[in-house]
Amino acid sequence: MSKTFDRYASLLFLVLGAAFLIGSQNISSSAYGSNVGPNIFPMGLGSLLVLLSLRLFYETFKYKQEEKKEGQALDYKRFLIILGAALLYVLLMEEIGYVVSTFLFLLVGFQTMSKGKWLSTLLISGAFSFGIYFLYVNVLDGTLPGLPTWLGF
Amino acid sequence: MDAFHYLLNGFATALQWQNIIFAFVGVLIGTVVGVLPGIGPISGVALLIPVTASLTGGLPPEEAATSAIILLAGVYYGAMYGGSTTSILLNTPGESSSVVTVLDGYPMAKQGRAGVALAIAAIGSFVAGIVSLVGLVFLAEPLSNVALKLSPADEFSLMILGLCALSGLAGKSVTKALIMTVFGLLLATIGMDNVSGVARFTFEMPELYSGLEFLTIAVGVFALGEVFKTILERDANEGEIAKISRILPTKQDLKESAGPIIRGSLVGFFKGIVPGSGATLASFLAYLLEKKISKNPEKFGKGAIAGVAAPESANNAASGGAMIPLLTLGIPGTGTTAVLMGALIMYNVQPGPLLFDEHPTIAWGLIASMFIGNLMLLILNMPLVKVFAKLIETPPKYLIPMIVAISIFGVYAVRVSVFDLVLLLICGVVGYFLAKNDFPMAPLVLGLVLGPMIENNLRRALTTSNGDFSIFIEKPVSLVFLIISVLWITVPLIMKMRGKKVVVNVEG
Repeated sequence: MSKTFDRYASLLFLVLGAAFLIGSQNISSSAYGSNVGPNIFPMGLGSLLVLLSLRLFYETFKYKQEEKKEGQALDYKRFLIILGAALLYVLLMEEIGYVVSTFLFLLVGFQTMSKGKWLSTLLISGAFSFGIYFLYVNVLDGTLPGLPTWLGF
Repeated sequence: MDAFHYLLNGFATALQWQNIIFAFVGVLIGTVVGVLPGIGPISGVALLIPVTASLTGGLPPEEAATSAIILLAGVYYGAMYGGSTTSILLNTPGESSSVVTVLDGYPMAKQGRAGVALAIAAIGSFVAGIVSLVGLVFLAEPLSNVALKLSPADEFSLMILGLCALSGLAGKSVTKALIMTVFGLLLATIGMDNVSGVARFTFEMPELYSGLEFLTIAVGVFALGEVFKTILERDANEGEIAKISRILPTKQDLKESAGPIIRGSLVGFFKGIVPGSGATLASFLAYLLEKKISKNPEKFGKGAIAGVAAPESANNAASGGAMIPLLTLGIPGTGTTAVLMGALIMYNVQPGPLLFDEHPTIAWGLIASMFIGNLMLLILNMPLVKVFAKLIETPPKYLIPMIVAISIFGVYAVRVSVFDLVLLLICGVVGYFLAKNDFPMAPLVLGLVLGPMIENNLRRALTTSNGDFSIFIEKPVSLVFLIISVLWITVPLIMKMRGKKVVVNVEG
């Protein structure tokens, strides 16, 4: 149990609960044919979330002193590169098309996980992006963003 | 014999060629999911929902739903078979419900009996699968008939019970589990209100009018969450993989494991029916039971075959048992069944008492296909176990980025929106950090799935009572459900305060 994480999390959920509670005040309080409106459920849940986060916040004071874990440090560098690549991937997918964006993402992903073996990296990325596109669009008649028009296809 | 007649019709559905293929693909992928470390049954099922959605795109709605759920359920129970492989060969459970199998499975492998251990695990899983299916066939109709008589107030309280059951035992802190449940229910309120058509918490964003998509959240928190965990914590499998030599168990082996298999199946089945207890707890209990009644308990932990047979049977029986409350009452008791329920709702099929009346093809087709699927799994896992064992060696270098790419493809294929893709990544990151700090994810997803139904029943009940909340305690059935819910949360707390150790359920 991490005291710091739980404390921040409880505050975050407190804010979220309060936001839902306040937000539900602006929803109409009755629906046609019923005196029970769409506001009751979120209002009740919002208050419940506020109470529960207060409870969690209180509990964090009772946590025993954390033992420093003798583990490896988290591999943030690799994680952030892959997350960043994934974010670019989803934002650019509709611009540069599924095949190109997937190919690039896998290239970055594979090499970030461990460097080297360029040939299999290129082959697997290529086979995956073309394969999925072909199967989904040509065989299953689905829709994916195609190749960008400026490539001249 | 009514159930028998329905079951025959179910077989007619399950034996259609496309459904045989769907069942086969499901159990095959399930086995792979079970074998591959770093992806469990929940993330496997979540990951495949969009893929099945695109595969079944051309079929009429009812058939599409049947085929899809046959495949997804196959992944669920298939993963239970595959989970034993890494436990036995690598000393690392492939998914949480095979944790106990490690205790005796790996020592058996070190004695050169890896093949026998795998075979017994497969046979045990098969028997358990059949036992729980027979239970399902006989309990499904009567239970759903009872459930049909429930009033909105009763149904509301029953769903509250389902939520409490999953939260009361999930994770290390009940407060955190409850926070996740309530948060899931709140997320479900985003979007257009079904009854009045009022937009709630949408902030004029068109993407939010139809609500947060269950699929996006489930794939995000489960599949991406686990991938991020593997990347951040460098969860690579190291260590020697045991060799498989002889596969067929001897007569002596079979004799020694027959009892544990039967007992494990029964323990697992009854544990599975109870919402919130899950496969992990079932296999744990079955193991303890065998150790207690064994004539030579000192053998356990050193390669006793009963220590593999009992927990592997129990976890399979539990996953079969967990289908009962899902199909008959609409209450998913485990994380994976919550994801399955979300998938059914995506196909406009409401699991619950009406399922057997309104969609008999889906309900009975699924049950019959589970018979066929279990048979396929036995064949896949006995002669082909060596092939699957090779999968353990898949380098994470290729696996991890590909799971990310499949998640993104799947969500895009169903939603065709960049908004959902960004939400998917956010859910992955948030899911990882919350899960790492013991905020369980299953209650969140369950809340998201049950939210709209709970709200509908709440409002229907309150409308009939003119807004008087006492209706929930005036109806006897509803009162009983609510009392059990309260006990479910408070009893473990009281036991903890008294210093007793409470067995905690791990998501699965």
